[in-house]
Amino acid sequence: MSNSEKKISLPSEAAKIYQIIDENDNISIRELEKQTKLDRGKLEYYLGFLVANELISRLEIVSHQISLTNNGKEAAENQLVERRITKILKEKVSVSFADLSKLVKTDNKEMNAGVGLLKKQGLIKIDKGQISIIDKKKEVNKDLQIILEQLLSGETVDTSDFNEILLQRNLASLEEAKDILLEILIPYKKVSSSIQKMNEVSRLTPEMIRNGSWRDTRLREYNLKAAPPTFYGGRKQPYAEFLDEVKQKLCALGFKEMRGPIVELEFWNFDALFQAQNHSAREWSDVYQVSNPKRGKLPKADYVENVKKAHENGYDTGSKGWRYKWDPLKSAQLVLRAHGTSVSARTLVDLEVPSKYFSISRCYRPDTVDATHLSEFTQVEGIVVDPSITFRDLLGILKAFAVDIAENENFKFKPDYYPFTEPSVELDVLDPNLGWIEFGGAGIFRPEVTKPFGIEAPVIAWGLGIERLFMVKNGITDIRELFSHKFDWLRTAKMSRG
Amino acid sequence: MVSIKASYKKMQEMLGKQLSIEQLEDLLSYTKSEIDQYIEEEDMLVIDIKTSNRPDLWSPEGMIREIKGILEEESGIPEYEVKESGYVVKVDSQLASTRPYIACAVAKNISLTDYYIKQIMQLSEKIDYSYGRRRKRSSIGFYNLSMIKSPIEYKVIEETHEFIPLESTEKMSLERILEEHEKGKEFGHIVKEYGHYPILLSADGTTLSLPPVINSNDVGKITEETTGSLIEVTGTNFETVNVVLNILCQVLVTHGAEIYSVKIEYPPDIYTRSVITPLFDKEEIEINLDVVNKYLGTEMKPKDAAKLVVKRRFNCNSIDNNILTIEIPPYRKDILHWVDIAEELAIALDYNKIGPTKWKVLTTGGLLPETESENLVRNILVGAGGTEVLTNILTDPEILTTRVNIDKQNYVKIENPVTSTYSVMRKMIYPLLINVLSKNTHETYPQMLFEVGEIVKLIDKKVITQSNAAFLCADAEASFEDTHKRLNQLLSLLDTDYEIKQVNHPSFTEGRCGRIIIENKVCGIIGEIHPSILENNQIWVPVVGFEIELPLIPSLKCKVKSTD
Repeated sequence: MSNSEKKISLPSEAAKIYQIIDENDNISIRELEKQTKLDRGKLEYYLGFLVANELISRLEIVSHQISLTNNGKEAAENQLVERRITKILKEKVSVSFADLSKLVKTDNKEMNAGVGLLKKQGLIKIDKGQISIIDKKKEVNKDLQIILEQLLSGETVDTSDFNEILLQRNLASLEEAKDILLEILIPYKKVSSSIQKMNEVSRLTPEMIRNGSWRDTRLREYNLKAAPPTFYGGRKQPYAEFLDEVKQKLCALGFKEMRGPIVELEFWNFDALFQAQNHSAREWSDVYQVSNPKRGKLPKADYVENVKKAHENGYDTGSKGWRYKWDPLKSAQLVLRAHGTSVSARTLVDLEVPSKYFSISRCYRPDTVDATHLSEFTQVEGIVVDPSITFRDLLGILKAFAVDIAENENFKFKPDYYPFTEPSVELDVLDPNLGWIEFGGAGIFRPEVTKPFGIEAPVIAWGLGIERLFMVKNGITDIRELFSHKFDWLRTAKMSRG
Repeated sequence: MVSIKASYKKMQEMLGKQLSIEQLEDLLSYTKSEIDQYIEEEDMLVIDIKTSNRPDLWSPEGMIREIKGILEEESGIPEYEVKESGYVVKVDSQLASTRPYIACAVAKNISLTDYYIKQIMQLSEKIDYSYGRRRKRSSIGFYNLSMIKSPIEYKVIEETHEFIPLESTEKMSLERILEEHEKGKEFGHIVKEYGHYPILLSADGTTLSLPPVINSNDVGKITEETTGSLIEVTGTNFETVNVVLNILCQVLVTHGAEIYSVKIEYPPDIYTRSVITPLFDKEEIEINLDVVNKYLGTEMKPKDAAKLVVKRRFNCNSIDNNILTIEIPPYRKDILHWVDIAEELAIALDYNKIGPTKWKVLTTGGLLPETESENLVRNILVGAGGTEVLTNILTDPEILTTRVNIDKQNYVKIENPVTSTYSVMRKMIYPLLINVLSKNTHETYPQMLFEVGEIVKLIDKKVITQSNAAFLCADAEASFEDTHKRLNQLLSLLDTDYEIKQVNHPSFTEGRCGRIIIENKVCGIIGEIHPSILENNQIWVPVVGFEIELPLIPSLKCKVKSTD
């Protein structure tokens, strides 16, 4: 059987495209898009006819392109870490690890990798913690450095000898570029005489419906196999949506939501939580201080007075207190909320008993932002108050969080420390890939925290590591992705969760 | 959080057993520490310690003391004999208002390897830094005993006094040490605040140290050859200097050293009497076991509880029905209340064995009305085709000003930013959305994005937190209508009448920008972003959008949260 003997019905546009493909002797869809100036959707529609008539075939082609990662870019610009190390070592007799780390200006992980690599190559020796170079003349990984710099400048480089090391050291990544190649199965000339232009209608118009002419018209078939044009509808941010889900679960467990201001008085962030005014967490290195205005107004005088006493002599809790002179001016200073517990502290005023609360709040700490640290992060935390509640109930609450929120039946408790709770517990859950990971922390508020607000019942305070949970569930390894600016992720991140 | 380094081999040696990393980590959890890293080539563990109030646990010796209790290999408060050294320290009354307290001990028969000397130095540094508040509250010094004669003077001296500081080869005046020596630059500010120079002098005039800045080079260090040492802690708090000394003595005793006491002679305006240090004030606390059982949800009997506290290295001095009198070790000052003992009991029982109850507290849950309102707006904007983004509230002043054509913004600033990228609080959201657009110019258009989120504003010197909603549409075809129709849909679904009044705003094109007015109040802005901003941000398509303050939409329940 030969195709040329049959009549082939094609829309005229499809016939034109057929000719173009034939003239070009195989062509990629991307190239064809350029030549025909048709959008991808229409193009696919016409190609559908050609494929269905076995005139052409589609072949998916994948090409690999190597491109620098952030690590790689940095190394290209500032030299590879081992080269930076040897440069310094060449100037010195020997250096301690810590000093070297400072001079190289890098983190320990990268330092370790660099030193390890040099040691393996026998270029350096480590003696009693002092690192020195063995051969000052030898250049380390010069070829690799050149490749990196060429890649950075955008030159076309043959990296095949270096691919393995580039990928292994996370200096570069291989990216797939997909395209479709259209191959001619039957030359245009061979069948051109048997091509019949179709006289069909492609579009159903309002007139046709109204005047009934649709009855006498054949509507052209749609090519159902054609790929649809790209479409991005509106959607919620994946992490925000996950937080919505957590809120829902907490509401279902009977927790009421609470919220507080982002700029917070030290009083609520620390003093009300029985953190002494000279506590190291209150230093400039651990909490963001506000420079304008510097101070706010303290709450109702009774509360301030009671909190002051709790610090100075334990108030009437039976505690020794911290035994120093409490300063209201320090307490009135403004900081960025450093933990969600400040929202709980505010809720202690006129607290309803029994009750359960949660808050999901942005918190701030002066950390250097990297793959595991944000200086602006989310905390989920709250309180539970009931006259009969015990430490064992607290463990029960944590169990409910493990099972209902982390959806994990494998959990364990560990002793923990918070300045404002006693006893304090850490909740770990077992991740099949990562092993035990910390998922939450909790404790019973110390009486020095609750009694100044007139609360006699025990108050359980708890917090959950929600960022980590989201990352584990979605295979994200860099915490900065939670606030990602990448439209590609925002538009296409999957909504189903495993 | 405190982090220390220790040898994995040596830790096993001290524990007298071989343990896998996992087994060791399990035991370390009783000391509220965890292994952050194990560097096998160097036999080094990096251990993170969560307690900020237990400096006695900031060394492997301290952790092992605790673990041996849990393993029931040792129990109760560790005791050691203290003989008199005959050394005396005389304290100058001029120090009364600055750094009045000192605690000293003499250690003899020391034989420490280089590793353990480094460990003790690590412990001292961690205590100085964290518990000692960067040496302000307390600082530690170790000296070679053979070079010191009693009585030692702790006094104020003139700035021209000279000695050779550690890591130096020449004599330097105190004034010069503060200006030029590395430690002088780091800790000199503490002394400068005093207005005078504290000094420790041996009876023969030899300088021991300039507390809390630097020791003398020859007297003020210990090496593998040192067999006798004077240990000294100065500071601003009597209890702190004494507890720190007790921690150090306890560690040295672990390594076989003998401890001798030193007599501290205080003038009456500092302390009413002389003190023999190390000071072992037998501090006790009473607990009512009924109360503790009710607190924990447990059913401990007095005898069981007594065994459990001993396991936690306390002593139980008496049991009277349900009242237990518990003695606190001299190296611990974190026990303020019976709840602290309750935790010790719970740890000794093992949290995982106590077991969770099926928890009760029946209450109804729910979102705050403001969150419900925000969700309403988010849903409408998703329906309008918007892709939601989350951006930082703490942000870069450049994004809020020059990048959107604004000279100056009256925003809340941070006093101690780590980087200028995170140094001011946003008071509008749209500049951050423009920043997002500028990072996505390689992605398909149209790009429609929105954020409903908190902002921070100054109103009459008061700081408030509130929620705004901002929407931007970027596309070659984008026109004012694209944003206007969406604002109109949003406000009509929210049953809110509004008008738009033309205004000039530096971020928007003249004649293409208006204020959104609801009930005669300005509550937002709408318009076409000025081309100079697009050029500046390298966005090569027109951008239109609006931002609206949610608390000013009457049908919503969004509130302004004031810090005061």
